[in-house]
Amino acid sequence: MSVMKDRIYPVVFMAVITAICIALVSGVFLSTQELVIRNETLYLKRAVLYAAGIKVPENGPEAARVFDERVREVKTQAEQKSAVPETLYYEIVSLGGSIDGYVIETYGPGLWGEIGAVIGFHPDLRTMMGIDFIKQNETPGLGARITESWFKEQFRGKTGPFVMVEEGRSSKPNEVDAITGATRTSAFVLKIINGGSLEVEGLIERGGPHGS
Amino acid sequence: MAANTKVKKVFSEALGSSNPVFAQILGICSTLAVTNKLENTFVMTLGVLFTTSLSSFTLSLIRKWISPRIRMMVETLVIATFVILVDISLRAYMPEIWRQLGPYVGLIITNCIIMGRAEAFALNNPPALSLIDGFASGLGYTYVLLIIAFFRELLGSGTIWGITVFGGWWNNWAIMIMPPGAFFMLAIFIWIVKGLWLEKEGSR
Repeated sequence: MSVMKDRIYPVVFMAVITAICIALVSGVFLSTQELVIRNETLYLKRAVLYAAGIKVPENGPEAARVFDERVREVKTQAEQKSAVPETLYYEIVSLGGSIDGYVIETYGPGLWGEIGAVIGFHPDLRTMMGIDFIKQNETPGLGARITESWFKEQFRGKTGPFVMVEEGRSSKPNEVDAITGATRTSAFVLKIINGGSLEVEGLIERGGPHGS
Repeated sequence: MAANTKVKKVFSEALGSSNPVFAQILGICSTLAVTNKLENTFVMTLGVLFTTSLSSFTLSLIRKWISPRIRMMVETLVIATFVILVDISLRAYMPEIWRQLGPYVGLIITNCIIMGRAEAFALNNPPALSLIDGFASGLGYTYVLLIIAFFRELLGSGTIWGITVFGGWWNNWAIMIMPPGAFFMLAIFIWIVKGLWLEKEGSR
């Protein structure tokens, strides 16, 4: 009896409690999963549109519609049938059908963690259409200011490779304002952008000629 | 009547003489980490309020069946369940804020206040009172964090809730929004509160 009470009862009790908790968490997770995936896709679509310099509608479904209209995803050619094609880059098409530019998704190290960005280039692959950040863990109020619009907007129409100057001092087309107090973050971001211009060339080559 | 005085005592202790943050120095990790922007701090404290209230309530509800040997496992499990529920809901319904809070929501699990209330109160008191106690402790945590966040955001960014209040003449104190600023603010806060309020109450 005492063995039952001391040893077995706690184990059974723990198992029951655990099962209840898992059921609860899984239930909520599964019921919101679709919404979460929709949020994430929409988030990426908005970022791509922003990087391409296209006005992003506030309304979710509207943003998705603009994305479908103006953006074509270029995927890897499936060499094996089982392989899931990955997105290589996004082609921005004008309403007339000509290619306005290319947007890539790229990652690089930041101060605390990885920084993920989507960067848009004009067809010359040097001049930037814009940039948006999709992942960052920089210091709030300092490095995290890379997500503020004044920082992102300054890249539009500029041509790299970029050099950083003090906040508010940029004048030449290859100069960008660094963030005061976040010099390291600014340097990491410039490295990602400067690398992105080479990366996009490689990706377009890999994508190869494609019809549609 | 008796219940009423108990409730009053629970509140006055949590908000004053044994406030979890400045009297017991619990939950300092998140006090330091998420107090540089009021908006983020507010959502974080809501998460903690929800978790302390409901985990205290749940644990009190099942307290008679928990064997003492495994009580900490059960407490952690229940707390973690509520925290993950907060995390999933934020992710689904407030993706912007979820993105900004990053790992800190998950870290509510390790907030000592919640475990402390479960251990010290919920296991020995009825569910309704435990719910009130959890809520009161969460409230004690909330107002301290909001005060600290208010000053850190104001001095560090010149804004309150993202709205600029200091104009161009203001030089942001960058240190206020970095981790050391939190240590300064918290220390000054504890100093003022203990010196002006708690000591007087103690000598009375």
